[in-house]
Amino acid sequence: MAKDPLAEAGFHFDELNKLRILEPEVSQKTTELKEECKEFVDKIGHFQKIVGGLIELVDELAKEAETEKMKAIGARNLLKSVAKQREAQQQQLQALIAEKKMQLERYRIEYEALSKVEAEQNEFIDQFILQK
Amino acid sequence: MRLKTSLLKEAKHKELVSCVGWTTADELYSCSEDHQILKWNLLTSETSLVVKLQEDIYPTDLHWFPKTVGGKKQTQAEVFVLTSTDGKFHLASKTGRIEKSVEAHKGAVLAGRWNYDGSALITAGEDGQIKIWSKSGMLRSTLAQQGSPVYSVAWGPDSDRILYTSGRQLVIKPLQPSAKVIQWRSHDGVILKVDWNSVNDLILSGGEDCKYKVWDSYGHLLYTSSSHDYPVTSLSWAPDGEVFAVGSFNTLRLCDKTGWSYALEKPNTGSVFSLAWSVDGTQLAGACGNGHVIFAHVVEQHWEWKNFVITLTKRRTMQVRNVVNDAVDVLEFRDRVIKASLAHGHLVVTTSLQCYVYNSRNWNTPLIFDLKEGTVSLILQAEKHFLLVDGAGLYMFSYEGRLICSPKFPGMRADILNAQVVSLSNDTIAVRDKSDERVIFLFDTLTGKALGDGQPFIHKREVLEIALDQCSPSSERKIALIDKNRDLYLTYVHRHGREHKVCKIGTMVHTMVWNDAANILCGIQGNQFTVWYYPSAVFTDKELLPKTLYMKDGSEFSRAPHILSYVGTKVTVRQGDGSLIYISVSPYPALLHEYSAAARWEDALRLCRFAKDPSLWVCLACMAMASRELTTAEVAYTAIGEVPRVQYINFIKEQPSKESSLAHTLLFSGQVQEAEATLLQADLIYQAIQVNINLSNWERALELAVKHKTHVDTVLAYREKFLQKFGRKETNKRFLQYAEGVEVDWEKIQAKIEMELSKERERAANASVRSSIAPRR
Repeated sequence: MAKDPLAEAGFHFDELNKLRILEPEVSQKTTELKEECKEFVDKIGHFQKIVGGLIELVDELAKEAETEKMKAIGARNLLKSVAKQREAQQQQLQALIAEKKMQLERYRIEYEALSKVEAEQNEFIDQFILQK
Repeated sequence: MRLKTSLLKEAKHKELVSCVGWTTADELYSCSEDHQILKWNLLTSETSLVVKLQEDIYPTDLHWFPKTVGGKKQTQAEVFVLTSTDGKFHLASKTGRIEKSVEAHKGAVLAGRWNYDGSALITAGEDGQIKIWSKSGMLRSTLAQQGSPVYSVAWGPDSDRILYTSGRQLVIKPLQPSAKVIQWRSHDGVILKVDWNSVNDLILSGGEDCKYKVWDSYGHLLYTSSSHDYPVTSLSWAPDGEVFAVGSFNTLRLCDKTGWSYALEKPNTGSVFSLAWSVDGTQLAGACGNGHVIFAHVVEQHWEWKNFVITLTKRRTMQVRNVVNDAVDVLEFRDRVIKASLAHGHLVVTTSLQCYVYNSRNWNTPLIFDLKEGTVSLILQAEKHFLLVDGAGLYMFSYEGRLICSPKFPGMRADILNAQVVSLSNDTIAVRDKSDERVIFLFDTLTGKALGDGQPFIHKREVLEIALDQCSPSSERKIALIDKNRDLYLTYVHRHGREHKVCKIGTMVHTMVWNDAANILCGIQGNQFTVWYYPSAVFTDKELLPKTLYMKDGSEFSRAPHILSYVGTKVTVRQGDGSLIYISVSPYPALLHEYSAAARWEDALRLCRFAKDPSLWVCLACMAMASRELTTAEVAYTAIGEVPRVQYINFIKEQPSKESSLAHTLLFSGQVQEAEATLLQADLIYQAIQVNINLSNWERALELAVKHKTHVDTVLAYREKFLQKFGRKETNKRFLQYAEGVEVDWEKIQAKIEMELSKERERAANASVRSSIAPRR
């Protein structure tokens, strides 16, 4: 094929016989590339969106997990402190019981003393009646 | 008795409350680390902010300037001292305005206390120093210095000593630099709080070893509590010294002055950092670690007399129960009950404004009269009237509500009188002096004037406790007293122009009470429970006194028993652990007292024969001798086999004249001087001399003989005989001197004696004739 002097000068004709300065093949490939690139960008964009959604979701989950964890720790501590509280309460009640026991002991002694007095007085009355 | 507490739902302070202080009985100031000072009004139950302090002031202690001093109201405006952690103390007015701030210590000031008359302020700091300041906040002196912080400080009852903490030790330091310092190890942990009561002179301490202890002012331990769960962070005496309160983590305790605990409360307060009683002793406030202020008052106090039991059910309500028929009466009062007393068939109740007097036969219509000053600190009752003691003085009232008198004496401090040092009977009031504890002032109840010549009775040692008998005739009123050596003495209140005759009737006596209806005294002597059936026996027949006692082994009593009352035949004893025990005493001695007082000697004899108790016979013998009832005395002495005494009574009966027999009766009870005086008054010189000779009282005999120029030879003769008997020579110069001029002739002397005796007989005969003629006219 003889060399096209136009082509040497860098001019080409396309199928529609329009004058072009790029080889029609190259031009077509370029267009193709552009198309493909666009498609790629679109796809990446879509991917990002999906990933973003995922991250958000995971974050949320993490947060929830964190709160649940805190709750669990709290509950565990509460449980421990309840045991301690009970202990303290028990201690308090124990102290109150000890106090009441002491009071009871005092009453017991008082009662014994009174019974003794009663016995003495009965004896006295008996004696008195006997002697008369 | 227990505490009734009240706590708001929400804490008013945002941070821990460090200190509280009462202005009146219904108004309290509290300070907190949130820099606020709040005022609590209990009548309206309102809380208002007084002032917000500067941000850098963290208060540690608050104390109001004392309101009354020895009964006089202070004219100075109401101020309080506030100490803070920045080393300053602040004098602030009632409105919360800080009048003056004084740089006092390095590090925090931990305590600040006014003395009782408000003339000095003491501060203690973290730097271990104790400083005294004037009323206006000028430094007077640094009283003490030590290496460790002083956590708490308290004034002694007379404001002349202070008590402070030094690590695990307590220190009592007099203000006078030369006086002796008492220091003793008292706790196993750092001591956090101390208090010293002015009425009973007892010391309280509490610390990180979780115990509280009671001490006397010499540092002797009286009580130590069992270990608590948390350190004792606060304690405070009630002003009358009968009870005290102890604060710890979530704990409030009410204890008796002997240490045992009445009641325990477990409020949700955190640690109680400070406790304060209102001036009338009815309200208690505590500064809590969680920002609360806790209020409490004492309820369920009991009073018992015969068949009545009275309980304070609420602040203003009392319940009277008659245990015989289970009848219940409810008494309502307009104000809070401050003090009450039940004895001799009457209930006396004082509130902040009024005094109510109830008769036990009628609980519906009390007699009500207004009081001048509300804070009655002591009520004492006798059969006919009662005595009220408040900060200003002593007031005698009849049960009809009439003010009879108000006795006063120099240096009187009515605010620190307690039942141990004041005693009341139907005609006499006795008060022990505070500045000189040997002195006892005696007053007539009707006039309020000092008895006799106005001189107080002075014992040889410090007196701890006094008690007047309740039912002798007023001329024979007796007072029993326990002195510092724990010896029990008995003496007459009226001295009849002579020196007081003070007789010791017991040793190691810790407590004593007279019976309410007879002159019988009971007490605890060593560890023996002892009843003195007839204490006056000591004046008539000293040697027989031990035989008039009723002793009962008291070793079953636990530590430190104290007799509360002796009514009828029932003795009530409070033991050291707080339990009550009752002892019944035979009713016969009281009956015997009744008979002898009414001179029913026949009945008395019958009673003794019936009871067959030797101690009763001894009592009867002494009673009869005291009232010169010789026949009864003779029978009684015979019954107990006291032959020499019976013989002497027969001898007295044989005396020719009344005067002689009186003199010999006096001699019988050892009253030699009185006997001699009686004889000399009746002009029986020889008999007086003979009495002295018989007692080998030679000098006095000779003196009398020389003075009256008679019977000098008789004295000399007897003296010679006496010396011969012992194989000794005359050494007395006076006797030698008179012996020179006088010749001893026994026959002459006998004749002279015979003459004197017949003269006496003749005179007595004449006198009896004259006395028998007299009524005929």
